[in-house]
Amino acid sequence: MKVRPWVRAVHRDLGYAAVGLTFVYAASGLAVNHIADWDPNFHNTTREFTVQLPGGVQSDDDVAAVIAASAGIKEKPKEVYREGDDLEILYDRRTLHVTLATGHVLEERQEPRFLLRFANWLHLNRGKKAWKYFADAYAAGLLLLATSGLFMLPGKKGLIGRGAVFVAIGIAIPVAYVVLSNGP
Amino acid sequence: MTAKISDRRTFLRVLGAGTVLTVLGGTYVVVGDADTRKARKLKLPDGRQRLPPGQSVIARLRPMGGQEGDPSPSAFKLKVHGAVDHPFELDFAALLAMTQVEQTCDVHCVTKWSMLDSHWTGVRVADLAELAKVKASAHHVVFEAASGYTANIPLHDALKPNVLVAHKHEGLPLARAHGAPVRALVPDSYFWKSAKWLTGIYFTETDRPGYWETRGYSNRADPWKEERYS
Repeated sequence: MKVRPWVRAVHRDLGYAAVGLTFVYAASGLAVNHIADWDPNFHNTTREFTVQLPGGVQSDDDVAAVIAASAGIKEKPKEVYREGDDLEILYDRRTLHVTLATGHVLEERQEPRFLLRFANWLHLNRGKKAWKYFADAYAAGLLLLATSGLFMLPGKKGLIGRGAVFVAIGIAIPVAYVVLSNGP
Repeated sequence: MTAKISDRRTFLRVLGAGTVLTVLGGTYVVVGDADTRKARKLKLPDGRQRLPPGQSVIARLRPMGGQEGDPSPSAFKLKVHGAVDHPFELDFAALLAMTQVEQTCDVHCVTKWSMLDSHWTGVRVADLAELAKVKASAHHVVFEAASGYTANIPLHDALKPNVLVAHKHEGLPLARAHGAPVRALVPDSYFWKSAKWLTGIYFTETDRPGYWETRGYSNRADPWKEERYS
């Protein structure tokens, strides 16, 4: 029995099956790798404005309604919390920090990044523990892809020729990095 | 065949030019950072360099992700427990009723940025420990946060006067991305020890490495010793 056709078939079908998770992990890997430069999960924005607050005794909810109308927010607040002269109005993805004496409002808003937040959530294994088993299976699949890839091509473009050079380069890069950076 | 070789040469030229531009750009960013160069010349009162090795100065705190918790002040509860004689729970109003500390300090992230002169308001962990009457057998503290995040530090570090449970940054309530309503602040360790969305302070007799400490990061995390990884 010839082995190479089987190797190719396994590599091909496993490769197709791995496409989805490879995109998830690669995109998330790039995003999280640069976490010091940006928030990979949320688009964070702030804006400041001043609201003319009505005089007289008003409930915190009334004040919050005036501020929301002034800010063009139609969403219902989840919470209105008062601490002395400061009022916090919390919505699902934004908070208004209000200084009642001056009417100054600082709005901070978080919008989840489309798809990337889910990818990061999966990549960082922050969901239910069951995901760990899928992630393990994917990692094992990648090992199988790499191993089967080694034996796919015969001849001078395979492991006894050009392939060996690229495999050596691929191994040399992390080894050289560890050696040159004095390792962990 | 000739066309293919020509295509490959073009590709390699573009790749080479891109690499050179990237390296030059990186060099410009590194060399052009005047704040970092200035900070490197400064010393702390105890003789340590103000800017720990390998760090660069940035102007604003960066969020650095994390599994976000509930930003609601009214839902906030801080559980102080473990090896203590008097475990207790604080709500946000009770936290604000305690002695408040205004503090200006530098913070250092393991990803190599530092923010100098950041301003914080909060309550000393030492004051909370005193209320809880920490047992003599306790030697470590675990900051507990949303979604099971934890970070551990030695008790003697946690009781330093600059270690806070902070609820304001730069005079404003903590932003959601920075752990609203309350986070830990441990300025003398890499910033992952300053757990965001804080929910508890657990005093323990034995060390309990936390979320990042069990994922290859240093248990001590001293920026001046560059203890980034274990």
